[in-house]
Amino acid sequence: MRTPVAYFLVVSAALFTIGTVGVLVRRNALVMFMSVELQLNGVNLALVAFSRLHGDLTGQVLTFFSLVVAAAEVVVGLAIIVSVFRRRRTANVDDLAELRW
Amino acid sequence: MVALDLVWLVPTLPLAGAAVLLFAGRRLGRLAGWLATATVAASAALAVGIAARLLDLPEAERTRVVHLFEWIRAGSFRAAAELRVDPLSVTMVLVVTVVGALIHLYSIGYMAEDPRIGRFFAYLNLFVGFMLLLVLAENLLLLYVGWEGVGLCSYLLIGFWFELPSAAAAAKKAFVTTRVGDTALLVGIALVFFRLGSLDLSRVLDPAVAALQPSGVFTIIALLLFAGAVGKSAQVPLHVWLPDAMEGPTPVSALIHAATMVTAGVYLVVRTHVLFELSGVALTVVLVVGLVTALYAALSAIGQDDAKRVLAYSTISQLGYMFVAAGMRAYAVAMFMLVAHAAYKALLFLAAGSVMHGTEQETDLQRLGGLWRRMPWTAATMAAGALSLAGVLGLAGFFAKDEILAVASGTGRGAVWALGTLGAFCSALYIGRLVSLALLGRPRSDRALHAHESPPVMLLPLAVLAAGALGLGVLMTDPRTGTLPAFLAPVLGEVPHGEAGLPKGVLVALSQVTALGGLGLAWYLYGSGRVEWLALRERLAGVQRLLAHGMYVDDLYAAAVDRPLRAAAAALAWVVDARWVDGLGNGVGRLTQALAGAGRRVQTGLVRTYALAFLLGAAVLLVYVGVRR
Amino acid sequence: MSAEQIAFWVFAPISVGSAIGMLLQRNAVHAALLLVVNLVTVAVFYLMLDAPFLFAVQIIVYAGAIMVLFLFVIMLLGVDREEALLEPLRWQRTGAVVLGLAVLAELVTAIHAGVGFAARGPAVFAEGASTRALARTLFRSYLLPFEATSVLLIVAAVAAMVLAHRKAPAPPAEAATTEPEELEVAP
Repeated sequence: MRTPVAYFLVVSAALFTIGTVGVLVRRNALVMFMSVELQLNGVNLALVAFSRLHGDLTGQVLTFFSLVVAAAEVVVGLAIIVSVFRRRRTANVDDLAELRW
Repeated sequence: MVALDLVWLVPTLPLAGAAVLLFAGRRLGRLAGWLATATVAASAALAVGIAARLLDLPEAERTRVVHLFEWIRAGSFRAAAELRVDPLSVTMVLVVTVVGALIHLYSIGYMAEDPRIGRFFAYLNLFVGFMLLLVLAENLLLLYVGWEGVGLCSYLLIGFWFELPSAAAAAKKAFVTTRVGDTALLVGIALVFFRLGSLDLSRVLDPAVAALQPSGVFTIIALLLFAGAVGKSAQVPLHVWLPDAMEGPTPVSALIHAATMVTAGVYLVVRTHVLFELSGVALTVVLVVGLVTALYAALSAIGQDDAKRVLAYSTISQLGYMFVAAGMRAYAVAMFMLVAHAAYKALLFLAAGSVMHGTEQETDLQRLGGLWRRMPWTAATMAAGALSLAGVLGLAGFFAKDEILAVASGTGRGAVWALGTLGAFCSALYIGRLVSLALLGRPRSDRALHAHESPPVMLLPLAVLAAGALGLGVLMTDPRTGTLPAFLAPVLGEVPHGEAGLPKGVLVALSQVTALGGLGLAWYLYGSGRVEWLALRERLAGVQRLLAHGMYVDDLYAAAVDRPLRAAAAALAWVVDARWVDGLGNGVGRLTQALAGAGRRVQTGLVRTYALAFLLGAAVLLVYVGVRR
Repeated sequence: MSAEQIAFWVFAPISVGSAIGMLLQRNAVHAALLLVVNLVTVAVFYLMLDAPFLFAVQIIVYAGAIMVLFLFVIMLLGVDREEALLEPLRWQRTGAVVLGLAVLAELVTAIHAGVGFAARGPAVFAEGASTRALARTLFRSYLLPFEATSVLLIVAAVAAMVLAHRKAPAPPAEAATTEPEELEVAP
């Protein structure tokens, strides 16, 4: 007796939500980024679950690509954070508020 | 003998002269005056030729419409540039060009020292051009063009010395006051088109129109046209601009405000008399207004201290007499008075100008005196004009005024005759006063003491006009068979004839008593030295002030019209415009700024707030999608 | 209860719990470690969902490479930086939690309406659930995206190098001394 696919989807929704709240609430740039990764994971899980639901491998393929792109994205994102840190000596995103009124 | 088709040259020559002088006037200097005089003189010569040609034709064929070009054609409305040659227009043209030429000649001397002499003659020529257009126009719209044109030139010439605030104000006043009449005239012209279908005089003077039934429409039309005349001819209540118009150079007063422009109103009424006769009351209104004006102005003239203002009020009064004649349907008599008045009033003004020229611009009667010794020619011609105005037997003025009173008496209008005679007495009184104070006695100031006679270029016109003032009576020996009435009869009809009232001989005798009595009284009071007129003036100070202020009509207008309008204008400018309209505009700006100021706070620059906004949007979107399904 | 179900009910709370834990940690390193835990649980879920290849890749790439990278950077930026507890923006936390719960509720509703809590999916995958099947799909139908992502990776690597590059400082002015000095490696 397998678990219904919907349960996995609920977990994925929960992970996604927690990731979103994390992005909103945390001020450390790195932790924010990690929350974004959490969101991505939630989405990947949903993709795989749907793949399982329909018996179609397309979902898994998409997840594969999502994974690769996430890796590239992390690389670039962290490089940006590092250079911003070098300039401004801060990892607090609230300090980077120049484009304001 | 000139072909009638050449009539287009008559207004065109002065207009061309004006154009040349406007562009090249400064360079021409004194030559400008001779050029301007030449154009008007040429027009006068042409006019004489055309008149001769006209006289050659049989009476029935003395009307010709000369077509120049198609002007306006809009639907059923057609107005062409056409000139009308007939006895009436030829008479007016002769008056305008001859008197105009004389005054141009005079001005060469009078304005010799003025730096803007070129501009002056340009305006003067322009005026003559427009005036000729007015009297020669075949349709009412073209007449209106001339009407407005002379109004413009009047404004330009009254305010010629625009550095003087009084002159500028007087010019403005003249223009605005006549505007009231002009607007009424325009409405009247429009109504003529609506009622008759055309603005051509051929249509208006069509016997078919004269045979129409009288009706209210024609009353309105006639009254509107008359309103225009009231403005232009300075009748009560639109007369207030003429005394102030004396701020302009004296030749201007002579030409425009004595001989020509102010007579345009009389010409208009006489020309469109058919319309007036189609109304029951219009002619009565004309008569009453003319009579009231004649009397009012004559009385006011007695109290004026400025020589030119005496003459201004005199003009108003004399024009009133012309309207009295028109109101009694004696159009030919009105026209003769117009001609005679042109002669002696222009003469009087030019003579006054000569006095000013010789006394360094002195016009105050209290400071003149004894000029007959120092300026004999001026004095003689001025006296001639005065006698003619007073109506001394045999002179032009006598034939004019007396004929009007005779018609009044003859047609049973006793009251008109009585009041007219009273006015005549006042006329004799004021002109006698003018002559006595200016010419007789001893000089009462330095300027009068050292007066000198004017140059010949100024004296010649005086002499010519004096001859006219004395001798033009030959044209009016009889109201029916006289030269002028007979000439005008095809256009103006017969002068009304009646047997009521006193016999002719008695009337003449009474008129002489009036004229000589007035002159005599004036001489006794002011010229003989037997009466301390200064003391008399003190005792009658109240009356003197009343008359000097034209019975305060001007002040009434200032309080009742001028001040409320200024207050309204100030209110509109400072409250409505500055506060509300600008406030609305500024308010929009301020509102935008406020909204923007509030709105920009959305741009916090913080990624987290933006992310929160995303989430909010996502939540709403999910609800929407969920509900839709 | 089958083994699979037991596994689910064990790992699901760990997954959610570690996620929430990561959220609440003030220390960045602790948060990163909790995230690793979460990633591993997700890998297990992949396994349960008949995706063995992804299970492996998830652990190798995500937990192994990406999180290591994160930890490197955290070390670089200061490992003991603790985030202040006070939230300067007033409605941020409340708003975030409220909206988050709202979205969660909406998603669960959508799942219930769309999929239904009873569905289990076919017993067997169409092409089989093996890595071979995945490879076949990947290299046949999705070859172009595959090549594109390889380009993407190279670009990302170059970009990171460019972004993080620092100019070497100029040699000191007193290099007039004849003796060659020990080369200083620029930090």
